[in-house]
Amino acid sequence: MVGDVDAAPATGLTGDPSRPSKEAEAEFSRVASRDQIRAAAGALERNGITCTVVDSAEEARKTVRSILPVGAEVYNNTSRTLEAIGVAEDIERSGQYQPLRPRLYQMDRQMQGREMRQLSASPDWVVGSVHAVTEEGSLLIASASGSQLGPIVSGAGHVIFVVGGQKIVADFNTGLRRIYEYCFPLEDRRARKAYGVPSGVNNLLVINKVVAPGRITAILVNEPLGF
Amino acid sequence: MSMIDYDSRPVTPSVLLVGHRSSSVAYSIRDFLSRNGVPYEWIDVDDAARVEALLSAEERGMDRLPVCVLPNGVRLAPATLEGVAAGLGMVSAPSLSEYDLTIVGAGPAGLAAAVYAASEGLRTVAIEAVAPGGQAGTTSMIENYLGFPQGISGSELATRATAQARRFGAEVLLARRLMDITTDGPGYVAHLSDGTAVPSRAVLVASGVDWRRLEVPGIEALLGSGVYYGAGPSEALTCSGSRVAIIGGGNSAGQAVIRFSRYAARVTLLVRGPSLEASMSQYLISQVKELRNVEVRTSTEVVSLESDTRLRALMLSSGDTVARLPTEALFVCIGGVPRTQAAANAGLCLDKAGYLRTGAELSSSAGALDGWPLSRQPLPLETNLPGLFAAGDVRSGSIKRCAAAIGEGSMAVALVHQRLAEVGGG
Repeated sequence: MVGDVDAAPATGLTGDPSRPSKEAEAEFSRVASRDQIRAAAGALERNGITCTVVDSAEEARKTVRSILPVGAEVYNNTSRTLEAIGVAEDIERSGQYQPLRPRLYQMDRQMQGREMRQLSASPDWVVGSVHAVTEEGSLLIASASGSQLGPIVSGAGHVIFVVGGQKIVADFNTGLRRIYEYCFPLEDRRARKAYGVPSGVNNLLVINKVVAPGRITAILVNEPLGF
Repeated sequence: MSMIDYDSRPVTPSVLLVGHRSSSVAYSIRDFLSRNGVPYEWIDVDDAARVEALLSAEERGMDRLPVCVLPNGVRLAPATLEGVAAGLGMVSAPSLSEYDLTIVGAGPAGLAAAVYAASEGLRTVAIEAVAPGGQAGTTSMIENYLGFPQGISGSELATRATAQARRFGAEVLLARRLMDITTDGPGYVAHLSDGTAVPSRAVLVASGVDWRRLEVPGIEALLGSGVYYGAGPSEALTCSGSRVAIIGGGNSAGQAVIRFSRYAARVTLLVRGPSLEASMSQYLISQVKELRNVEVRTSTEVVSLESDTRLRALMLSSGDTVARLPTEALFVCIGGVPRTQAAANAGLCLDKAGYLRTGAELSSSAGALDGWPLSRQPLPLETNLPGLFAAGDVRSGSIKRCAAAIGEGSMAVALVHQRLAEVGGG
């Protein structure tokens, strides 16, 4: 969101921060086994997160469509996953929903800053992804400014995550390593190229349990999507 | 998920528009996209490197501009507003063969009527030539609208109202103008610029006003090249560091001053009258006076324009003196001219200034009700044709305020119910 331009470099990094190590690449880019995916899905459900496991990107796209009500106000987080499987296009271009991104982008930042903060803080629906899902049923999301996190925690009415099968990890510590050693270098390179600014693991959200069952839905895809 | 959501820019491709800055067609498309909240990238034809990279040699021909590249890759050359709107999927046909209420214009009055009519179960369609919101939709910040203590921008108000109307089932048809209204039994048929005919049992004309044209030699040739009517939301960012002048003494001019003072190096407000107090809300006057890069010149008129390929300076007359004001952009906000051409063709009664007469004003105007077929007098907001109403800025005697227009739009729906009960089936 607005203000992300001040993102500071991440802390706690070792080695060349511009790319993941070969070991990290090998560990965190392969799709988890079906048993691991099944375990994660079961744990998520026990933690109050509705979970659906699908086999393909196309199936994931259809699942998102089936969940989002026609006419819903939707904020799609920037996500390689959503772009790759066509969900971003569905939200922004299909005419089926009220997409917030084009609306916010057109607003006058000088005159309408408050309206922009209000709109982006409390969308009816947020669609995005996460950086790691543990087999214990936790979701891990890192953010440079934290702007995406508030709506996910409580601002948005409903949240849908589409998660590639390579993001499933054994536990919290492995999830953290995935973020620092794998996601961050790739994300930092993307941000510098796309926006000319660095990224950073400046804010970290861990969702262990949801007190309003059904508010968050995770769609686990048995394919690698995004990073 | 990305860790940076840089500036909420859409992640799917934007519309690309290539053309001459002085092209009125290109300006109308930019205005249409901007006011409808469609992100686009404007590329001036002088940007040779980008143009060469984007357009084929054939497309660079003068008769092919402006060129519009849609997100799905479709290329429109030359592009028209209607073509762009259709290409973006923004033009839809009416879904019903007949409506209870056709609303002409989706400004504050029209949108309010659409919300109330649809929420009360009337089959409702609104027709809008450009974008929802009307003149108020281009207002940068309305600070005295009830219920929004921090203010609300006109575009945001329009976006919310349109969503609200659609949620109740009203249809909003964009990018088509009303050409004519004909009678059809006790009802009417609205004929649109794309040939569509929309039958309905009642009609509400809420077509609002166009900006009044400034009568200065050579001004038409500079439209889009430094001269703009209204607050020009599509132009604000392009005025960064520029010297801007705004003509007008009303709230629209005051709001434009505040918007452009954020971007421009200098803003000069030119007011024909001796002061702002008679025509501008006090809260705006106070804000304008506090802006350090704004100068207010009262009792001043523009007598001529200096230009080469675009506007360079204004010649100002104040009393016996004439002064030159270097200016890159001039925004004209000097009140409105009612959009009543189609209504006049249909035989609606207008006042001397061209606004639609309604209700008691008709009864007191000699000859206005000569063809009136009913034993009752026209309802408030009803024109000299039964079941054909008017609300908002286009109506003679209306208060030219957003909230007043919304009130009239809401009130009109109650009167439409009376009319529908009268003709039966309502």
